[in-house]
Amino acid sequence: MPGTYEDETREVESSGSAARSGLPASRPAIALSYVILLVGVAIALVPFLYVVSTSLKETTSLFSYPPDWIPSPIYWGNFESLFADHPFVRWTFNTLFVAGAVTVLKLWFDTMAGYALAKMEFTGRRGVALLFLLSVAIPISALIIPLFFVVRYLGLLNTYWALILPPLANPLGIFMARSFIVGIPDNLEDSARLDGASEFTIYRKIVLPLIRPGLVVLGMFTFMLQYTSFIWPLIAVQDSERQVLAVGISGLQSAFLQDWGLLSAAMLLAAIPITLVFLLVQKAFVVNDLSGALKE
Amino acid sequence: MTDVDTGLSSTQLTLSPEEHRRLRRRYRRRTTLTAYAFLGPNLLAFIAFLLIPVVWLFVSTFRTGGVLGPAEFVGLDNWRDTFADPLARTSIRNTVVYSAMAIPAVFIIAMVLALALRTISRGSAPIRVALYLPTLQPAVVAAFIFAFVLHPDFGVINYAIRGLGGDPINFLGDTSLALPTIAGIEVWRGTGFWTMMFLAGLTALPSELYHAAEIDGAGAIRRFLRLTLPLLRPTFYFAVIFATIVNLQLFDSVFALTDGGPVNSTISVSLYIYRSLFLFGDIGFGATLSFLLVITVLVLTGLQTFLLRDRK
Repeated sequence: MPGTYEDETREVESSGSAARSGLPASRPAIALSYVILLVGVAIALVPFLYVVSTSLKETTSLFSYPPDWIPSPIYWGNFESLFADHPFVRWTFNTLFVAGAVTVLKLWFDTMAGYALAKMEFTGRRGVALLFLLSVAIPISALIIPLFFVVRYLGLLNTYWALILPPLANPLGIFMARSFIVGIPDNLEDSARLDGASEFTIYRKIVLPLIRPGLVVLGMFTFMLQYTSFIWPLIAVQDSERQVLAVGISGLQSAFLQDWGLLSAAMLLAAIPITLVFLLVQKAFVVNDLSGALKE
Repeated sequence: MTDVDTGLSSTQLTLSPEEHRRLRRRYRRRTTLTAYAFLGPNLLAFIAFLLIPVVWLFVSTFRTGGVLGPAEFVGLDNWRDTFADPLARTSIRNTVVYSAMAIPAVFIIAMVLALALRTISRGSAPIRVALYLPTLQPAVVAAFIFAFVLHPDFGVINYAIRGLGGDPINFLGDTSLALPTIAGIEVWRGTGFWTMMFLAGLTALPSELYHAAEIDGAGAIRRFLRLTLPLLRPTFYFAVIFATIVNLQLFDSVFALTDGGPVNSTISVSLYIYRSLFLFGDIGFGATLSFLLVITVLVLTGLQTFLLRDRK
């Protein structure tokens, strides 16, 4: 199909086309797009406004009709109770610490493995790559029972290690790292090798700096998956002091008493750190396409 | 300069074929060692937390006991029990029905939003952040947010329904509505992620083809169907595989909201696995159900690879 367009393509190129893909859109198309996006943004955000409003009300006042969107007077009791009666600060620290540790370790290990798979000719390369590729498709929640016994055997239940080590086995990041590294021209490394640089020096001084934009995206992705992980922390950690936010918050409600105000306060505060991290790196998200990972 | 050149080539010429092979082998051995050193940390984690658990699962499907008493070989009993268990069948059906609702819905919505984002030129940064906000929340948080929004007594949706003179709907308490509601919540949370993924795919497409297509007189819909969709095949390949793996593990929101109810209408495979770990002294049943989930995901992703991958 593309072959037939060749001539026209050349013509268009010479006339200087926009860098953006697609075409300059017509006015009605742009207007329609804004309408669609505004609806999307409203659906994404309105539930959060509901949470903000609920967190600043006494739970008993929730049942008043009609509902007040803006609570008056503002009630801070939910936040006070969250800090006084629950280890919310610990949960936040635990979540950030575990997600941070997993992200740093995974970026390090995955780029090393990605470098080996992308650039080295070694015995068993196809086998290792196939093994990792197959295990991309192994669902973690199917492994919770054996993981529980492995981690118990290692004596790590109820520790940070129990939360940090098992996620390191997720091989998806290796393929993403590999896809970033494959694009680096070989002669860059070869000239460093002629200068006597070791493979590790090449990895650290040449490969890592060149793939930094991709690493920001991979890092954010890893951090987010870890920040939102639930089923494994739920099983691996029983001690509330060691628990992460998602599990801690889910424990705030019980079947008989639902303190919606308290729950909202917790959810509101839990949303802040990850949102800040995202705002810091969000520019990198648009330029990089993670789907490159599974291209051969 | 010339001296160095001749020096080098004469050394190469004096290498006997045998010596050459030996050096080659040594070089290969060294590269292999280096490569495995680079792969080491990942291989270790992989063996301890993926390979051993999977092998353990497989072995456990033929055994009983193991938690309280010693394990005992029981042949195919666990497999028979699992397939005969009506709740296991219900959990598999719910998980598949849920995925069949959630994945196409989130893909269509995300694609529409991504196309809209590509069309506009101003204000797209804050819109992207707003759309991504739900994706950043843990699934249990998204679930609780909707527990308010949909609450039969004070949820905003039911205020609206009552305001219009209707009867309040108990979204999560109705056996036929609970699973679609859970799917809807996951769509709300997933839309931002897939919108960014599709937008990245769209942005990477070559613009020349579009100009050519317009010159050929192809309309917007035709361009989308004939040009955009086929060109996005690699993105879709990744999206379908990843979404399948994630959605077949449905757990967080049902655990937080319905605990599988009402009347098991939302029990998922993962929830049943979780229950079997804590409720039964016997791990054989849970292991078999887990292994079944592993096989299902492997077969489905294999099938999708076969159907969607670029053919050269």
